[in-house]
Amino acid sequence: MRRRTFLRSAAVAMALPSFECMSPVFGQAATATPPRRMLLISNNLGVLPKPFFPTQTGRNYELSPYLTELAEFRNDFTVFSGLSHPDVEGGHSTENCFLTGARSPTRSGFRNTISLDQFAAEKLGQLTRFPTLNLGVNIDKANRSLSWTRDGVLLPAEDSASTLFSKMFVQGNKAAVARKLHRLNERGSILDTLLDDTRQFSRRLGSNDRSRLNQYVTSVREVEQRIQTAREWEHRPKTATTESMPDDITDKQLFFKKFELMLSIARLAFESDSTRIVTLMVDAFATPSFKLHDDQNTTDGYHNLSHHGQAEGKVKQLQDADRQQMSLLRSLLQELSEQKEDGDRLLDRTMVLFGSNMGNSNTHDNTNLPVILAGGDFKHGQHLAFNRENNKPLSNLYVNMLQRLGVDTDEFATSTGTVSGLEFQT
Amino acid sequence: MNRKPSSISLCAAAIAAFGHFVLVTEAAEESSEKSIKKFIHQHCFECHSGSDSEGKLNFELLNLSLKSRSIRTRWVHIYDRVRNLEMPPASNDLSPKERLDFQKQLSQKLHTADIAEVAKEGRGPIRRLNRDEYQQNLRDVLKLPALDIRDILPEDRESYHFNKTTETLDISRVQLNAYLDAAEAALLQAMAVGVQPPAKKKCRIVGAKLFPSKSTFGNRQAMFFTKDSKGISNQQLDEAPDDPDVELALFRSAHWPYYGYPQGFVARLPGEYRIRFSARAVLQQPGFELKPAKQPLPMTFRARKPSGPDVSGDVRATGGIIDIQPEQNVYETTIRLRERETFEYSLLGLPVPLARNVNNGPPTYRYPPFPAGGQPGIAFQWLELEGPLSPESWPPPSHLVLFDNLPLAASSGDDGFSMQVVFRNPEEDAQRLIRRFIDAAARQPIPQAAVKKYEQLILDRLKQKASFAEAMLAGYKAFLCSGHMLYVQEPKHADDHFAIASRLSHFLTNSRPDAELLKQAKRQELRSIEILKAETDRLIDGVSFERFVTQFTDYWLDLRKIHRDEPDIRRFPEYRFDSYLVESMERETRTFFTAMVRDNLPASTLIDADFAYINDQLAGHYGLPQASGSAMRRFELPDDSPYGGLLTQASILKITSNGTSTSPVVRGAWIMDRLIGQPPPKPPASVPAVEPDIRGAKTIRELLALHAAEQSCSACHARFDPVGVPLENFDIFGRWRTRYRGLEKGESITGIDRAGHDFSYALTSTVDPRGKLLDGREFRNIIELKTILAANDRQLARNLLHQFTVYSTGTPVRFSDRVEIEEMLDACAADGYRVRDLIHSLVQSRIFLGLAGCR
Repeated sequence: MRRRTFLRSAAVAMALPSFECMSPVFGQAATATPPRRMLLISNNLGVLPKPFFPTQTGRNYELSPYLTELAEFRNDFTVFSGLSHPDVEGGHSTENCFLTGARSPTRSGFRNTISLDQFAAEKLGQLTRFPTLNLGVNIDKANRSLSWTRDGVLLPAEDSASTLFSKMFVQGNKAAVARKLHRLNERGSILDTLLDDTRQFSRRLGSNDRSRLNQYVTSVREVEQRIQTAREWEHRPKTATTESMPDDITDKQLFFKKFELMLSIARLAFESDSTRIVTLMVDAFATPSFKLHDDQNTTDGYHNLSHHGQAEGKVKQLQDADRQQMSLLRSLLQELSEQKEDGDRLLDRTMVLFGSNMGNSNTHDNTNLPVILAGGDFKHGQHLAFNRENNKPLSNLYVNMLQRLGVDTDEFATSTGTVSGLEFQT
Repeated sequence: MNRKPSSISLCAAAIAAFGHFVLVTEAAEESSEKSIKKFIHQHCFECHSGSDSEGKLNFELLNLSLKSRSIRTRWVHIYDRVRNLEMPPASNDLSPKERLDFQKQLSQKLHTADIAEVAKEGRGPIRRLNRDEYQQNLRDVLKLPALDIRDILPEDRESYHFNKTTETLDISRVQLNAYLDAAEAALLQAMAVGVQPPAKKKCRIVGAKLFPSKSTFGNRQAMFFTKDSKGISNQQLDEAPDDPDVELALFRSAHWPYYGYPQGFVARLPGEYRIRFSARAVLQQPGFELKPAKQPLPMTFRARKPSGPDVSGDVRATGGIIDIQPEQNVYETTIRLRERETFEYSLLGLPVPLARNVNNGPPTYRYPPFPAGGQPGIAFQWLELEGPLSPESWPPPSHLVLFDNLPLAASSGDDGFSMQVVFRNPEEDAQRLIRRFIDAAARQPIPQAAVKKYEQLILDRLKQKASFAEAMLAGYKAFLCSGHMLYVQEPKHADDHFAIASRLSHFLTNSRPDAELLKQAKRQELRSIEILKAETDRLIDGVSFERFVTQFTDYWLDLRKIHRDEPDIRRFPEYRFDSYLVESMERETRTFFTAMVRDNLPASTLIDADFAYINDQLAGHYGLPQASGSAMRRFELPDDSPYGGLLTQASILKITSNGTSTSPVVRGAWIMDRLIGQPPPKPPASVPAVEPDIRGAKTIRELLALHAAEQSCSACHARFDPVGVPLENFDIFGRWRTRYRGLEKGESITGIDRAGHDFSYALTSTVDPRGKLLDGREFRNIIELKTILAANDRQLARNLLHQFTVYSTGTPVRFSDRVEIEEMLDACAADGYRVRDLIHSLVQSRIFLGLAGCR
């Protein structure tokens, strides 16, 4: 059963500017490298491990029951096993660490650290109107998010499709734009003052001192340039669309519909180049008994189901729910592969990570996390298996992804390197 | 108190040594260059020339232009290899005299070249404040002691073990942006939140409301309500929920999954809250009865959001441990809460029941067996709280820093502030306030021309229709992110007293100079030995010195990594979730190091002390007689105790293990590097680490023997492996052991752990602590090794001076500093290199003060 809600062909109908003229850094020539994007999805109760993980490894592995849902995109994704975040334990307490890898979330005095999307946005954020978008399904916004600042502040997810749509396509009110410009101008003036004062300050220093201070001056200039870019984004009209605003789904029971709607929003954000980085937290934990099929609701809330204790009835419902999510993922891959940008499939320019902080919700296990990476122009079509007793850091994969985005780094969070065996196509 | 060395003689000696080196004549220079070249040709050229030179050192391509820093660095390396008798190799027919002559000539040339650069450029360039220092500077400037902005800034890189090293304290766009954000956050917190202080709320909680629910995770033994020391049923509780005679009896520590906050309270406003409560320490008897305890039980409160089961929320330590006595008493504490937070009971060192999935079934709990005499816990009678507590005056002192006495009025609403500042004449007020602010914030006088720029910024913002408060904050924000604030300068010139003040305060208090120190700087007194000595002593004895101890030991001894590795609970089930033990370890080492400085103890005490600082938890951990209470107390150790000194402190032993196993290689290398100051060379990249066999089949010695047999490995490993060997008597958390633990072979040990889970491990081979140092000296155990290491107290002191030098100046010991370091050591030798003396020597040196030195 395919649920085609709005936006199925919206992108085609939209009066999208060509991607070239959206070429992001104003006044500069378009860069030769193609834009790179990523969508980071976590379901905070995960999936049943047994039907998810393939038993064979390498390129010619046999698809697991769940992965057969993605069979036609077999060569567009890699499935991983034996990955987890070191010392990120404590059952559901780990849900906010999926993209941060911050150790020991249950420890008193714990403070989260910068998440993958925010880290990447430090480099890529200015290329688009929104550095990132954080989406959610059924999400408890005050307590859960995939997206965190460096000092451990939660960046709330948005779960209203209409709000997100307005953000991307509806011109903001004049007062709001003026306020924002006022703040940017203030920062601009501050930076001018700093440059001016530093010139005077540095005159009294030796040459070694001056070379240290040059770093400071360079930093001030770079921040100024970014402010200039941010200003221009504010002045620039938003992308036009012929689509009408989607209706919000508020009923938490319509779990799959909400999930699908958020995937559409993510795709739309990429197609319009409103942002290149999207997170999506599927808050299964906060999902009550939900509609499994038109004529069937689950017997329990999602969390209770996940503690199935091998009870057959619960396991069966979970399998059904897991499979439906894999199917939603399949539709997304389909749409991203049909959409073209400069002759490339959008899928080849977009990494889609699907995973969870839970390796096994039944036993609150946070090791052996289920992880799929699709798209992004990697040499996919394989099951990369690591030691199930002694996992590799999931952050290693994040380093691969950062490098794919063009972020010049060889470490992130608890990484010890990159994941070997995952190579760029081009 | 008579504190040696005499500072005057020390300074004089240093100046004399300096003079000696600069007076080398040109002719002598030429001849020394010739003899250096001759030596190289005779003794080094054979291996170190041509395209196949050993160790990538080709003397054909290395000239003696020592003005170049990179060339000089290479020659310093060559000098050290020759001095340490590592080069030329033994086969070379080099006489000791030839070696000494060469060393003398090369060191003179190196020193001359290095000191010339110091004279021209200073010892090191300006240094950016790291994020800890920046936060503390802002706390002091803005009078906000609890300001928390550090983590807005990216973590600073470290080199030479510290995050205070100039060469790695770079700045980038991301950092500058973060400084702007951090300054903005700090300024917003400094402003008054309204015309009047926020209204205080008070409440009293008794009976059933003392806990969020009638039970908690871990079965009824973990928590129940009592009356007359007997457990009562839920029905009894429902019938009289407010009965003042009902007690809450709690017997578990706070660890996920747990939520233990009183009902009906959540902080509507952020701030300090006062908690008063009545409690007693008890022992739970079978049948849910309470008996008075024999010992106090420590507890604290944790701040958190109120949330339900299974979610950890955002739990924060609030600091401050209270020892609850067996007699019923009233206790009082204050905690800082954020908006919508509450607080929960956090009892320390108790069981932490965790769900088990027996046969993959649904989660169940089991409370671990009681110790003899009953299960310790705490019974609470009532709890009162009040807050947010306002400062004694309004507007708060932090607001006065920004707006002095300008009156407040209700918010105008358009700038986003919750009140507005009423000004008389915007230009005059702005000029007066920014001058006043810069005076308070700057660590040195700021030229008028610079002040004008910030003034102008504010006036421009006012023209741009910013509100008065907003425009002022823009000016303050800019200054707080300016070079004046972000960088500290090297004392170079004779009149650089403010630079000396900043260096001294960032050294000993990790912050800006206080008023007293600035006064001495203004009086140009900071090159006077007496004043320097008095100021140094004042800072060491002051409360802010704690920041030095924390920061210095965090990096020198890696204490910040104390929580890094979770214990392998299969083999060490007793350490499961015992965060109280880990925190006690950390406090022991900080207390010990504080005493090393404040009590002016000899350097050898670092390795070999006849006392230890312990509390209730550590006494048990070390197998010492029972101690009472959570506070660290000095305990005189018996002669045959393996404890005393850093080497055998649990914190160090934990940091140098990986949570699963111990390794003499890792521990030995760490000790040689950090404590002895003779770091081993980096391991070759291609060789895998020695992985202990945790199944218990092979001993670590057998594994080590394999790689010691290889000539290429043993040359280096023989220098540090032996030092780690006797530490095999200490497990991953530093507890004494005579046998290893494994999972398969050996004598089986089973039981139930702190979480209520079954455990089973095996006692395997016996620890063999005997070893032999590279120089042939043998030892049978850790006590004998400590005696050997402690005897080399000059090296221990030299290492401390090296650590203090890079920590305080941001630049590691340079070649031209070496002479002065040795002079300091000479001056401190007679008293056994006492640590406070060493700090005084450094502060009075040209390394610290610049070439102008002291008088």
